Amino acid sequence: MGTMGLALPWKARIASVPRERESRVEPSEHFSGGPNPAVVDAITEDASLAAGCRAGNLQTYERLYSVHGARMRNLARNLLGNPVDAEDAVQETFLKVQRGIASFRGQSSFVTWTYRILINTCYDARRSRLRKKEVANDDSAETLRPEPRAPGAHPSLRMALERALASLTKHQRDVFLLYEVEGFRHAEIAGMLQITETASKNTLFQAKKIFA
Amino acid sequence: MMNVACNDRDRIFRDGTRVEWAALEAHAVSCPACADELRAWKSLSVAAQEMRDYTENPASWPRIERALAEEAGRKTQPARRRSWLSFLPGISLGWQTAVAGALVLVLAISAGWIFIRGPHRVENDKSLLKSAALENVERAEALYVQAIDKLAAEAKPQLENPATPLLANYHEKLAVLDSAIADLRTEAG
Repeated sequence: MGTMGLALPWKARIASVPRERESRVEPSEHFSGGPNPAVVDAITEDASLAAGCRAGNLQTYERLYSVHGARMRNLARNLLGNPVDAEDAVQETFLKVQRGIASFRGQSSFVTWTYRILINTCYDARRSRLRKKEVANDDSAETLRPEPRAPGAHPSLRMALERALASLTKHQRDVFLLYEVEGFRHAEIAGMLQITETASKNTLFQAKKIFA
Repeated sequence: MMNVACNDRDRIFRDGTRVEWAALEAHAVSCPACADELRAWKSLSVAAQEMRDYTENPASWPRIERALAEEAGRKTQPARRRSWLSFLPGISLGWQTAVAGALVLVLAISAGWIFIRGPHRVENDKSLLKSAALENVERAEALYVQAIDKLAAEAKPQLENPATPLLANYHEKLAVLDSAIADLRTEAG
């Protein structure tokens, strides 16, 4: 699986929390002058996480989990459709990071690299599930089976959205989930899905046009 | 404030700047079509948040931590084995071959020494030669040799005129083995 050689510009660092919604505009377009302190902090944190994981420090892995674990689990759950598979995918991602950290050269964001591994792991899990279904001669199509979420969530709205997501292509769904649900920037999504920023923007536009 | 028109809407939705978004919102105040589109577009982002659930699962990290520790343990085991033999990689291949050759020479000399000195040792140990167990072994060995000779005699016509490729192959291998044994015997004198 080609997850290790991801190159993402250093400016495209991933924040630990999703950004605000409502007419979201890519911040990189509006920065001017000196370096943004938040970006500098993110770079430092990213390098520190990479170094700790490379050293095999379990506390660093725990920090990575505490900062990104919930978001990783949510992304995996939305990609795979159920929380059990999502837990497995997140665990597998951490193991893959541990196995592959020696090959991580630091030319890209460590966290983006981690999310890239997570997305590929989810793809693999989906493929594997599909193969098992084929072996079992199950003719039903591969569909996401969403599970109940947080008590505060609006179930009918969520279900409607999940049904609508099923009508999108895999690529459109992935970009929509990464941008609108997880709050990643297009530069980050481009790094994760190995596409251009423009492709990410166009794909999101097409996905939302289908919904709207 | 910049001015935008209805046909700018999709471009702004796709890749608009903050200023362009503000201009579109101002335009939507007086344009019902754009107002509807804008509302629908934003409502998607709001609805998408329903798919976000960052509630903590307390069982999750311990499970991952255990898996990471196990994986790390598996990684260090071969490393320990390697470090026990770590004196070898430091030596060049030529030296390793020389050391291996020297070991073979020592073993050969030792075997020769035992072979030469053996009869004297056995002569001194008459009780072993008189042992009934030794007689049993010698008898069994003789029977074994006879059985092999008998089998070889029976198989000889078939092997010399093989009916199948398998038999021909087998015959060829036996011939190679016989030749190697003969060479060794010649070398041993």
